[in-house]
Amino acid sequence: MVRIQNISKYFGHACVLSDISCHIRQGEIIGFLGQNGAGKTTLMRILTGYLPASVGRVEVDGQDVQKYPLAIRRKIGYLPEVPPLYPNMTVTEYLRLAAELKDVPPKQIRPQVDRVLADCHITDVSRKIIATLSMGYRQRVGLAQAIINDPRVLILDEPTKGLDPIQNLQVRDLIKNLGNKRTVILSTHVLSEIEQIAHRVLIIRDGKIIKDGSLSHILSSCGHRGVQLRVKGEYGMIEKAIRATHGLNAVGRVCLGGDLYYLDLEASDQLSNYNELALQLNSHSVEILEIKEKKKGLEDIFIELNK
Amino acid sequence: MNKILIITKHELFACLRSPLAYIVLMVTTVVFNIFFFMIIDQNREASLREVFLVMEFMFVFLVPLVTMRIFAQEKSSGTMEFLLTTPTSAGTLVMGKYLGTLAFFSLMLAPAFVYYLIIECFSSPDRAAILTGYFGVWLEGAMFLAVGILTSSWTKSQTMAALTSYAILFFLYFSMSFISYVSGPMEQAVRHIATLSHLENFAVGVITTADMIYYVSIIVFCLYLTRLSITTRIWQ
Repeated sequence: MVRIQNISKYFGHACVLSDISCHIRQGEIIGFLGQNGAGKTTLMRILTGYLPASVGRVEVDGQDVQKYPLAIRRKIGYLPEVPPLYPNMTVTEYLRLAAELKDVPPKQIRPQVDRVLADCHITDVSRKIIATLSMGYRQRVGLAQAIINDPRVLILDEPTKGLDPIQNLQVRDLIKNLGNKRTVILSTHVLSEIEQIAHRVLIIRDGKIIKDGSLSHILSSCGHRGVQLRVKGEYGMIEKAIRATHGLNAVGRVCLGGDLYYLDLEASDQLSNYNELALQLNSHSVEILEIKEKKKGLEDIFIELNK
Repeated sequence: MNKILIITKHELFACLRSPLAYIVLMVTTVVFNIFFFMIIDQNREASLREVFLVMEFMFVFLVPLVTMRIFAQEKSSGTMEFLLTTPTSAGTLVMGKYLGTLAFFSLMLAPAFVYYLIIECFSSPDRAAILTGYFGVWLEGAMFLAVGILTSSWTKSQTMAALTSYAILFFLYFSMSFISYVSGPMEQAVRHIATLSHLENFAVGVITTADMIYYVSIIVFCLYLTRLSITTRIWQ
């Protein structure tokens, strides 16, 4: 559905995006992750055709974004980082304007406005002036304009910014539902949100993709962090057993009384370490009371990759 | 065409929702009324020639206040990103915004038509000269608006947009003041550039091709540059 081919973007001499390539399929929800200034917003702006790429091309539904900008924009719904609102208009007036500008047929405008008002849970403020709305409402009015033309590709730059937990949940559900039929590209700093919504994650650092794959793939490929142990035995023997196990380091030790110990171990490799560890502990006459594998979450991986 | 009308309507309502618009409308009407009665009382002539020249002078100061927000505000508030990611071309956007502002400017000028009715009631004025005078003032305002829209497309700051407009309009308006210091081709060039020399013809009932080309070409040129500045996103 969206094909990004070797995109680079320069502002003057500064390289903001460097040789970005990826293919986003129809019905996929993809999350862009990255620190502030990583290049997520610039990439989204290039996808919408708002900014041209310095090098490379973007295709949406087989059409080049720069060659067929108007045709592409009919297929795209875009919510920028700051919701683009006219403070002096009422919510309905604004959504009508968005519908008109996005070529919604005149007869469809009213039903579409009513639909997005209901979908975004903003029907109660439909006649209010936008300037009087809270941040959460404004964000949802911005989202409503993005989906008013029922776009095939939805690009959302931090869609849940400024929402309270309940509104957050509603918007997440809405995005999940939208993702059933459409391609959704979203960026956020809330990693738990990506874990809950996205099928695929793209981690960007300094304008480059440093990780691209499904959430389960990323978690399994960088997901092992170590092991937590509760053991009974002489500490000298425990230490020997750990040292004899390849790729394990003790990072924490708590004596639980007598010869009971709690140990926090860091692993550099795969699960085979832990089997080896169990064998070593047995051979050093250490009794294993509990062994628990610690897995990395997306947050741990994100922090590690951005170090 | 339909999209141009949508943007024209939106722009006109945006103008009418702005408190500044009402201040400008009020100042325009009050100042024009004062000058109209002063000029008529002093000259005792059934002519609006000098009133038109005052209007021109006032528009040099008022038009940048109307145009400064047109693109600068869209850019600073982020709505430019919204407009340019809808299936609307930059040309349509510029044309729609220009026509919307021109409609508002026409509203500003409309109350001044009362002066003609007043003169008509009390004497027998040269109707052609008055009507061409109104047309000339409207055309010159349309040109000032095009300049203002262009400068508004260069920056996110409304103040900068207004100041740049003032610089260009002062140059066009006051260049006649330097006519005595130049001669030959330079003098001719100044006469061509100065707005005053063109409006004077309209104010006495003469519409020349040269004057029409002057106004229309500047309007088209400014709107073309505005479109260019938006498509190249030079403010970024």
